[in-house]
Amino acid sequence: MIYPKKLSSKKGELVLKILLIVSILIAILLLVINKLTTPNISWAAIANGGIVYIWIIVLYSINKNVNIAGHVMVQTIAISLLTLFIDYKLGFSGWSINISIPIIIIIANVSMLILTIVSHRKYIKYAIYQLVIVLFSTIPGILLGEDIIKNKVLSIVASGISVLNLVLTLCLCARDVKDAIIRKFHI
Amino acid sequence: MKKKQEKLYWRRLDNSAKIFPIAAGKKYSTVFRLSVLLKEKVDSKLLEQAVNMALEQYKSFKVRMKTGFFWYYLEYNPKKAIVEQEKEYPCKYINPKTNNNYLFKVTYFENKINIDIFHSLTDGNSGSMFFKEIVYTYLELKHPDVFKNERVARKLEYNTEDSYVKNYDKKSKGSSFSKKAYILKGRKIRLGAISAIHEIIDLNQLKEESKKYGATITQYLTSVLIYSIYEENYKKYRGKKPIKVCIPVNLKKYFPSKTISNFFSYITVEANMGKNNLDTFDQIVEFVKNDFKSKLTEEEIMKTMSSNVKIGTNFAIKIVPLEIKKLLVRLSYIEIRKYTTTTFSNIGRMGIIGKYKDYIEYFLMLIAPEPVEKIKCSSCSFENKMVFTFTSILNDNKIEKRFFNFLKERNIDVQIESNGVLDDISKEIK
Repeated sequence: MIYPKKLSSKKGELVLKILLIVSILIAILLLVINKLTTPNISWAAIANGGIVYIWIIVLYSINKNVNIAGHVMVQTIAISLLTLFIDYKLGFSGWSINISIPIIIIIANVSMLILTIVSHRKYIKYAIYQLVIVLFSTIPGILLGEDIIKNKVLSIVASGISVLNLVLTLCLCARDVKDAIIRKFHI
Repeated sequence: MKKKQEKLYWRRLDNSAKIFPIAAGKKYSTVFRLSVLLKEKVDSKLLEQAVNMALEQYKSFKVRMKTGFFWYYLEYNPKKAIVEQEKEYPCKYINPKTNNNYLFKVTYFENKINIDIFHSLTDGNSGSMFFKEIVYTYLELKHPDVFKNERVARKLEYNTEDSYVKNYDKKSKGSSFSKKAYILKGRKIRLGAISAIHEIIDLNQLKEESKKYGATITQYLTSVLIYSIYEENYKKYRGKKPIKVCIPVNLKKYFPSKTISNFFSYITVEANMGKNNLDTFDQIVEFVKNDFKSKLTEEEIMKTMSSNVKIGTNFAIKIVPLEIKKLLVRLSYIEIRKYTTTTFSNIGRMGIIGKYKDYIEYFLMLIAPEPVEKIKCSSCSFENKMVFTFTSILNDNKIEKRFFNFLKERNIDVQIESNGVLDDISKEIK
């Protein structure tokens, strides 16, 4: 006998699949209740946006490969999109692009600055996520240039911090950034 | 300084390895297994220690797969390798998330040590070098007094170059257009299960029998395999397309290389049963010998290798983003696989040095079957035992049984071991 009596084929993702189905059912139920009770306020869409956000975070977090900078990047993008969606659903008064997204970007850049300073030896692991955050951080600047944003102070601060972050990163870890770009974009 | 180097270590995938992570999934695991049956029970703690010590010698295995924008790549893995008791079917997809990100998995059961290796990491030949290092180290830890001097004496010499790119001929013209192959028919085993049937053959008797036909062992076994498929599947389902057997070829025999990465090509034996009048075993073995003779030449191997390298190095393909590559390859992979009936990989003799031999019964090699290539075959030998293995997702083992009976009828000693998936039928063979 050279094999165990019972061999199995792992079905480890079954729990996730069940939870996904439950989420879809809840989302449909919310839409139906919304339609039947208060059709003039689309609160179900906002709640469903929250469900999508939670799923993005859960799926990303259970991936043990991902490092802390990856989480900062995903949270930054996911929360920004969620606030934009909620703002849009509530009639788009602009609070998302004027206030929340710049604040999210400031927090993300400060987090990355701390990460860079505290653990610049491990920086190569963070480089690509850092660059994506910096790219994402240019959005308030672009919106500012297009004159779409009313509250300019927060957006200027957000863009300023991201530029500072990029400069500091290049000073401290230019070689790592170059190496990360080479390995990620090698053809 | 050492830590800094490890942190920065990364390497591109070799030309063959590029396709595997793009195509791999639960159905196409592209994993192969090497096992050793020892004469004593395996100590799991010592085995885990041995694996991590062997990784220090073979650093090219101490890597994890990362996603680039155009291709995957390998990067230094700071975590320790895990050793587990064997619980799953052989050659299953290795989920890096549950394996400390490693692309190989070491398991054990009673006297047996297994290593499942994702093909992106290396091929069977180089994989066996790493596996042997694990076995040597394990035996040294288990019997320190016996192997006092051996560890010091062992020398390792390898690199991680892409020997395909180094050796291919840019001017070589591609192989001629190939037709689709006969695909094995029949009901599949329940979802996810893989049958493994090992036929342990007396090597000297097999050599003598092959000599009678003027054939090598690989040619002889390929002929028996084609004959078994012909009798047990092809005739029943009135096949028309040729039975095509893909035979991997170790390129280190043809080109100077010390790479530990993949460096293999293949030839395809194309037995057109009706057209070539292949009705008896004698006719089949003559055909196989001639087909090997015409295809196993440096020129033909260079053609196949070069055309594959040209695909991997084509600029238009290189600049397609990885996600689009994945989509295209996965959509077309089932069609690509329809050009082979089965694969037979013979990695030959497992050369074990000195006193280590005394602790080993035999080695096994297994390759993962796929939805199209429902049966795959592999073999390796140790001392006077050659183990021919069928891994299958077909719900009958008539081909395996015919193969067994054929050798038995020629007075060759054959013993059967299996993982019990097709239990009733396996017992019939025994």
